[in-house]
Amino acid sequence: MAAARRHRLVAASQPGFLPLKADLDGSGQTTGRRKRVNKNKKKNWNKYSDIQDVEEFLDDVRLQERAAGGLIADKPDDSLFFVDTGNQKSVPEPGGVGKKGRNSKPLRIDLILQPDSRIAPPKDVLAHQRPNAKKERRIAQKAEKLAAMGVLPRRQKLLRRPPAAPSVKEKPVTSKDPERNFYDLWSAGGPETADLYYLEQTKKKLVKRPEKLNEKPSVLPAVEVIAPGGSYNPDFFSHQALLLEAHEVEVQKLKAEERLQRKLAINKADVATEMSTFKEQIEGLVEEEEEPNPEAEQVADAVDESVGSAAQREKKTEKQRKKEKAERMKELQKKAERKMIDSRQQLFKLRSISADVKEMAQRTRRRRVQRKARQEAQKSLPRRLGKLKFQAPDLDIQLSDEIPGSLRTLKPEGSILKDRFKSLQKRNLIEPRERAKFKRKHKLKYVEKRAFREIK
Amino acid sequence: MGGLQKKKYESGSATNYISRNKARKKLSLSLADFRRLCILKGIYPHEPKHKKKVNKGSTAQKTFYLLKDIRFLLHEPIVGKFREYKIFVRKLRKAYGKGEWGGVEKLRENKPAYKLDHIVKERYPTFVDALRDVDDALSMCFLFSTFARTGKCHVETIQLCRRLSVEWMNYIVASRSLRKIFLSIKGIYYQAEVLGQTITWLVPYQFAHDHPTDVDYRVMATFTEFYTTLLGFVNFRLYQTLNLVYPPKLDGKGETDHLMQSLAAFHWVLFFSLQPQDDMEKMEAREKAQQEQDRQKKLFEGLKFFLNREVPRESLAFVLRCFGAQVSWDKSLCIGSTYDVTDETVTHHIVDRPSLDKQYMNRYYIQPQWVYDSVNAKMLLPVEDYFLGVTLPPHLSPFVEEKDGDYVPPERLKLLALQRGERPEQDEEEDEEEDEEEEEDDDDDNDDGEEEEEEAEEEVKLKNMEEKRTQGKVRVTPGKAKQENRQRLEQEEKAEEKRLAIMMMKKKDKYLYDKIMFGKKRKVREANKMAAKRKALDEASKSDRKKKLKK
Repeated sequence: MAAARRHRLVAASQPGFLPLKADLDGSGQTTGRRKRVNKNKKKNWNKYSDIQDVEEFLDDVRLQERAAGGLIADKPDDSLFFVDTGNQKSVPEPGGVGKKGRNSKPLRIDLILQPDSRIAPPKDVLAHQRPNAKKERRIAQKAEKLAAMGVLPRRQKLLRRPPAAPSVKEKPVTSKDPERNFYDLWSAGGPETADLYYLEQTKKKLVKRPEKLNEKPSVLPAVEVIAPGGSYNPDFFSHQALLLEAHEVEVQKLKAEERLQRKLAINKADVATEMSTFKEQIEGLVEEEEEPNPEAEQVADAVDESVGSAAQREKKTEKQRKKEKAERMKELQKKAERKMIDSRQQLFKLRSISADVKEMAQRTRRRRVQRKARQEAQKSLPRRLGKLKFQAPDLDIQLSDEIPGSLRTLKPEGSILKDRFKSLQKRNLIEPRERAKFKRKHKLKYVEKRAFREIK
Repeated sequence: MGGLQKKKYESGSATNYISRNKARKKLSLSLADFRRLCILKGIYPHEPKHKKKVNKGSTAQKTFYLLKDIRFLLHEPIVGKFREYKIFVRKLRKAYGKGEWGGVEKLRENKPAYKLDHIVKERYPTFVDALRDVDDALSMCFLFSTFARTGKCHVETIQLCRRLSVEWMNYIVASRSLRKIFLSIKGIYYQAEVLGQTITWLVPYQFAHDHPTDVDYRVMATFTEFYTTLLGFVNFRLYQTLNLVYPPKLDGKGETDHLMQSLAAFHWVLFFSLQPQDDMEKMEAREKAQQEQDRQKKLFEGLKFFLNREVPRESLAFVLRCFGAQVSWDKSLCIGSTYDVTDETVTHHIVDRPSLDKQYMNRYYIQPQWVYDSVNAKMLLPVEDYFLGVTLPPHLSPFVEEKDGDYVPPERLKLLALQRGERPEQDEEEDEEEDEEEEEDDDDDNDDGEEEEEEAEEEVKLKNMEEKRTQGKVRVTPGKAKQENRQRLEQEEKAEEKRLAIMMMKKKDKYLYDKIMFGKKRKVREANKMAAKRKALDEASKSDRKKKLKK
C-alpha cells in the first residue's frame, strides 16, 4: 500500500501531470490523512490553531507605523507622492563648508543611536498631574497628628524593627541525641487540664497498659555475679570448683557424642560378607546337602508334634471341660471364703494398715514437694519461645596457668556483649535467633572462559 | 449438623495467642520494626502451656504473643512514626536516585523522629519501679560506652551512653553509695545501695575487645535506646534528691574527660537524712547500722593517693573518690590531675609493676587490689600483703554469703578475725610493738588455718597485750571494751539457751537433732579436710619457693 502511494506521489510530481482532482499535485503532500484532533481540550487551543494570517497583518501594521509614522492609508496624498516636473536643481547644499574645517558628517554611531521609529513616545501622564493643595495640606496635618500620638509611618517602623535573627529551624528531639535534655518524669503532674472525653477522642490520652505486662517474664536477676572462682586472682578451691563445673559440662558433651556413636554402632559380625550374600542368593536353588538335613528333620518333628497334640486334645475335651468347670467353682468358693476371713483378720492388722497408709501419705507429700521444687526450677529455666532452643553460654574460666598475677597482666575472658545478649535470652526477653542465611533463588551458572577452554 | 456446635480452636487458649507473623501483619510493620516495637514497649513472647491447642493441632515451634498485648500495641503512637520513617526512607532513596540534592537536603532536615518518654512513664509508673530495672540499663550503657567509635553502631548512642554512665558514677560518688566491688575475669562488678535498692552492674575492662559476630546488634541497639532514656530520667531524679544541678556543669567542655573534671568539681556535703522514729530498739539498731555505714563511707578519708600509669585509672579513681580519698595521676594521662608524683603529702602510691625505681619515703607503694579488698572488708587492710612484688592474697568475692559449715577460705577467716579482733584496738592508741606482735601472730595464724585455734590465739594475744599495758604505765584507756562485752554476753546467753533447749528435748526429737548435727558436722569434717589439703599445698609452695631462693 505504501509502495502504491509512493508511486502515485512520484507520478504526481512529474511536470506535465494533469491530476483529476485539483489538489492532487505535488503540493498535496500533507493532505491525505490529517490527524484528528480534539479541539475542545485546552492543550490543543494553542497547538493546533493557526493564527498566521492575523499575525502577518499585525506585523504589517506595525511596520507601517514604525517606518512611516502611521497607516499609509490614512496619510494625505502629498506626503506620499510628488509630481515630477522635470529636472530642477533643488539639491540642498550640504551644510557650511567646514564648520569645523572638516566635512562634518554625523558619526555613524550617532546615526545608529538615533531613534529610527516614527512612532511618537508616549505621553508622561504624571507630569501633567498637579497635586491638590487642599489634599496635600490635609495629608500633612494627619501625619502630624499621628506622629504626635506616636504612630510611625510604615517606613520608620520598618527601619526601627530589629534585624530578624536568622531563623533557626528547631531540630526535632530524637531519642539518640547525645545532648538531649531530661526532666522529672515522675513529678506528680497536675490533674488533666482538659476533659477526659476530649483527650480520649483526640488520642491524647494514652491507653492503659494491661497489668499482666508489668510482671517480669523471669525470676532471674538482671546481672548475675560470676562464681567466686571467676575472680582475677581466685582462691584455690573456688577456682577448682569452677573448673570442675566446666569439666562437667565437657564430660556431658563427650557422653552425648559417645551415646550417639554407640547407637549407630554396628556389629562387625552383622556386616554382610561375600560368602553370606552368595549363600542368600543361592538359597533354594541348590539341592540340599547333608548339613541342612538335621534342620529339616527338626522342623518336621515339631510340625508332627503339634499336629499330634491337637488330635489328642480333641479326644479329651469334654472331660476336660467338666473338670475345669469344677475346679473353677472350687476356686471361686475358696476365694470367697478367703475374702471373708481376710476382712475379719484385717481388724487385727490395723496397725500395719495404718503404717502403710502413713507411708503412702508420706510418699505423696514427698512427691508433691519434689514436683513443686521442679516447677520452681522450671521457672528459672529459659522458656522455649521459638524455633531455636536456648544455648547456654560457655562458662568464662581461665585455666590455672592463665591466671594472671596482677591486674596489669590480666587478659579479660569472654565478651560482655555476648553475656548480656545471652542474659536477655535467658530471661525470656527475646527469642534465640540465628543469622539469616543467604538463599539463592536461582542456581549459579558457571561458564568457562574461552581462554580457559582453549587450554588443553 | 446444626450451626451451634462448638468448633475446635475457636475459643480458649487458641484465641488468646497469636503467632508472630500474624501479629506483624495486624500492625502492618516489617519484622525489624515489629521487634523494635516489642522491645521498646516491653512486650515479650509467651510460651503457651499447651502448644498443640494454640497451634491448632500442629507441634511446630512458633513464637506466640498474647493477643491482648498486640491489641494494646495498636494504640501506640510510635507505630505511626515507624511508618513515617519507612516512607521517609523511600522518598530519600528516590531523591538520591534522581540526583535531586535540594530535595535530599530538605528531606534530611525533616527526618521523622520519636521520643520514648511516654513509654518510660508507662512502663515504670513510679520511680522505685524504675530503680529496680536500672541495673540492666546500667550494664548496657557501660558496655556501649566502651565501644570503639567506628560506624558499626551510631556514634551518638555511644556518646550518650558515655555521658549517662559518667553522670551515674558522679552520683554514686556524691552519695557515697558504693558497697561491694568484685574484679572478675569478665569485668568489674559493682554493687551500690541507692534509695534502699541494691543495684548491681557490670563494667567491662577498658582494653580493646573484638566484637562477636553472632550477637544481633540491632536488638542490642534498640535495648540501649530504651535504657538510655530510662537512665537519663533516673539520673535526673537522683540528682534532684541530692539537690545537685542536672546536667552537671563543667568548666571546660572536655568530651573525653567529662568524668574526671566533674569529679574534681564536685564538693558534696549532703548525705541522706535518717528516717523518722520507730521503737527505741529499732532506732538503736538503725543508728548502729547508720554509724557503721558512715564509718564505711569515710573509709579513705584524709588519705592521698597517686595512681601510676598502668593501673585502671577510671575504676580506681571512682572507687577512691567514693570513699572520700584524694586522687591524682600523671598529667600526661588525662586532664583533671590535681597534684604530681613529687607531692610530698601523698600517702599511698598505687603501682602495678614488679618494682619501681624511684621510691619516696613517706608513702606506701601498694598494688591496686588493696583498694578493692579494703572496700569489701569495710576497713583498711594491712598494707604489707599488697606491697610491690609480693604475691597477692586471693581476691575474694563479696557477693558470696557463707552458711554454717561450708568451706571458708583461710583468707576470709583472717579477714573476719581482723574485723572482729582488730577493730576495738584500732581506736586505741597504737604502739609499734603491738603492731609488730599482731603481724607476727597473723603470720602464725595463717599457717594454722583452723578456726578454733585462731580464736584461742586471739584471746591469748589480747591477754598478753592487757598484761603489757598493766605492766607499763597505769593508763586509764577509754573503754571500747563495752562493745566486746556486749557481744560476748550475747553469745554466751545464746549458747546457754541452746544448751537448755537441747536438754529439754524429747527423746524422739533429740534423735532427729543428733542426726541433723551429724549431717552438719560432716560438712565441717569435709571443710577440715579441705583446709588440711590447703595447708599441704601452702607448705609445698613454700618449700618450692625456698628451693628457688636457694638456687
